[in-house]
Amino acid sequence: MLRVRPPVFSSLRLYSQFAENPSLKLVAQLRKLTEVSITKAREALAASNNDVSAALAWLQNDLAVSGAQKAAKLAHRAAGEGLVGASVLARGTGSGAGHGGVRAALVELNCETDFVARNALFARLVADVAHTAAFLAEPAEPESDSSASSSIRHVPRAQLLDAPLLSAEGPAPSPAALSSHGTVADAIRTAMAKLGENIVLQRAAAVAHEPVPRTRSELGLRVATYAHGQGGAPLPPSQAQGRVGALALIALKSPRLQALLGASEFRGDLERVERALARQIVGFDTPAIRGEEGALYGQPFMMPGGALEGETVEAGLGRWAREKQLILDTDGGDTGGIQVMEYLKWTVGESPDAT
Amino acid sequence: MLRIQLASFKAGARRANLSKPASSRTFTVARHGVLPTRSLLATTLPSRATPLRGLYALKYLSPPLVPSAVPVRGYAEASTKFSRAKPHMNIGTIGHVDHGKTTLTAAITKVLSNLGGAKFTNYAEIDKAPEEKARGITINSAHVEYETDSRHYGHIDCPGHADYIKNMITGAAQMDGAIIVVSATDGQMPQTREHLLLARQVGIKRLVVFVNKVDQISDPEMLELVDMEMRELLSTYNFDGDNTPIVMGSALAALEGRNPETGEQKIVELIKACDDWLELPARDLEKPFLMPVEDVFSISGRGTVATGRVERGIATKGAEVEVVGLGAHFKTTLTGIEMFHKELDRGEAGDNMGALLRGVKREQMKRGQVIIAPGSMKPITKFQAQIYVLTKDEGGRFNPFMAHYRPQLFLRTADVTVGLTWPEGTTDAEEKMVMPGDNVEMVCDLVHDVAAEVGSRFTLREGGKTIGTGIVTKVFE
Repeated sequence: MLRVRPPVFSSLRLYSQFAENPSLKLVAQLRKLTEVSITKAREALAASNNDVSAALAWLQNDLAVSGAQKAAKLAHRAAGEGLVGASVLARGTGSGAGHGGVRAALVELNCETDFVARNALFARLVADVAHTAAFLAEPAEPESDSSASSSIRHVPRAQLLDAPLLSAEGPAPSPAALSSHGTVADAIRTAMAKLGENIVLQRAAAVAHEPVPRTRSELGLRVATYAHGQGGAPLPPSQAQGRVGALALIALKSPRLQALLGASEFRGDLERVERALARQIVGFDTPAIRGEEGALYGQPFMMPGGALEGETVEAGLGRWAREKQLILDTDGGDTGGIQVMEYLKWTVGESPDAT
Repeated sequence: MLRIQLASFKAGARRANLSKPASSRTFTVARHGVLPTRSLLATTLPSRATPLRGLYALKYLSPPLVPSAVPVRGYAEASTKFSRAKPHMNIGTIGHVDHGKTTLTAAITKVLSNLGGAKFTNYAEIDKAPEEKARGITINSAHVEYETDSRHYGHIDCPGHADYIKNMITGAAQMDGAIIVVSATDGQMPQTREHLLLARQVGIKRLVVFVNKVDQISDPEMLELVDMEMRELLSTYNFDGDNTPIVMGSALAALEGRNPETGEQKIVELIKACDDWLELPARDLEKPFLMPVEDVFSISGRGTVATGRVERGIATKGAEVEVVGLGAHFKTTLTGIEMFHKELDRGEAGDNMGALLRGVKREQMKRGQVIIAPGSMKPITKFQAQIYVLTKDEGGRFNPFMAHYRPQLFLRTADVTVGLTWPEGTTDAEEKMVMPGDNVEMVCDLVHDVAAEVGSRFTLREGGKTIGTGIVTKVFE
């Protein structure tokens, strides 16, 4: 840390000066590019002869070493704030070419203060990690769609940390971002070095499903996300971030499903009801989908312009399915419609159930 | 003789507490557990209040104004005497976790204790920042006090954004100014932006910057960079970047009593900068007269008398006043002031008084209106406000709500139904949800006009329980 160099005598200054002293301008410039600390920026410039691009490269290498040291120093500190972030890569049936699969993830990253949780740097990290988790998700067996094991699976932390980080904003991030390559763990360490707070990947879960086979065209599988209490600029629902987040898997069943999904108006309505369901799960204290006291299906449905006064979620979904002709009286006894299959709801800082 | 129902127990401590700002009142409450008789918090949760406070809550269902409003009434511990010879102001430290906020706070108390202006509060005492349950609303902040030659300071150190905002809205810990702490080794951090945004949001107009840990910097030129960057950032966030005092020193050196040239002397310089640069909030007595109407009586032979507790300012007998709110907006003359069934020439902040008004009919006046110095406040029906929604543990709602929610709004003595919507330009306004525990900025549409201004505090209630508290940030109509 302490760099000892021969002081150069200067008659006008009381303080000793370094011969190859990097100019303030360059340090300021480097800091604007990378947001590293003053000490670090200065060190980088000194080591690379005041060449900014060389200093960037130096910083890139240095972060691997000193970032790890810094991370080790901060690792023991309590991190109770942070964000839950979602990433939806494929929404499911009706999206894409009409037979889309499902691919989405939910992650929680913790930091120490909500100032950092509100910072754009942290938000970007959460988005990238969620994106990576969604990308890596292993598809569940197509046969097991409605039975036994849950489709939303926890992603082991170690596995995700070792995975190469994929940027949610697509490839070609600027070199100054200093996180253009490397693993998720590297990216977290870089963020720790810049933000000076302990950052922890608390948990991650993902869901992936192959498209429903054409032979069962009456079935559809969709994914919905919502996150609440995010500080910065609004994000699209597919990248929602906040203090509380939910990921829900929704099933559709109707003999007319393919025809209905062909209409963009129906798809818009469907997305609205999906958002309402995910929001409902986040907004209310939701212990289960049905059965229990306070369960989702028994809650008063909070659907703007859609629900009747005092209508429950179950009744609201039934009515919606009839109105949108997912169910017709002529269908006979076979019940179809829209159903919440599974959901996951996380709140920042609640007791971790990490895998 | 006017027959006015005044709760005589209220009046006891009046004179003694006249000029204490609202913020310092709650501060005292938090520190000593003094019984508050009229604070926002007391009024928000009348059901949990003590019987005395409960009575008050019924009478005064609205919070005081910011930054200072109604004086404290209560009983101080006999051993501690609060001198009000010096003006009071609340100051906060904001900065990154490692940049030495707590050390600085401890250093300030140490240096000032040597000068007789503070009790030395060490690091550990400040750092444990107890989570107080102030009348049901959880407040998380540590309180320290000290005084300089010219001022008395309450010092707040809150750990996060949400906590600060909540404190500001509830009035539990209002910051009138702030010290931004930045380490010389790191310079400003990415999240320093968030710190400044917060200061803006809570209405702080002036800051002082303390650049800490200068003894760990080998090259003083780097301090110039910190200075330069800081001024630039301050200007970006609409602070006066050019003139903001930036003091460079070492809080640790001051705390450990070494290197006085970077330690103690710099702390003294910092405090001086606070005294000189940070502006004192206006005191109650200096503000225009305002009395919320609690009750109206018709006294035969005399006329109409409105009773209430003067929130701020001074009114003299014979002065011209204005009655505003709930459809009324007219001028009249204050022909008499009465307190304890005796005539007075003058009523001032904190007084429970009866106001005899010339040529006003009983029917023209009702509870919820205000009597003010003419032109000092306008009746409004639509405004934007920062609202904190109580969690269910704080006695608030269990469930979220969305736009067009219509609770009751209590502002001073007024009780009006309000419709809540999102500000214009909000994306997905129809689908945005508010959960208990949220801080939100919403537009309030009142069914009747009430007198209010930017900084007026109010509470929101529904079905007999308080579900939120708010503060007016922008007036529309």
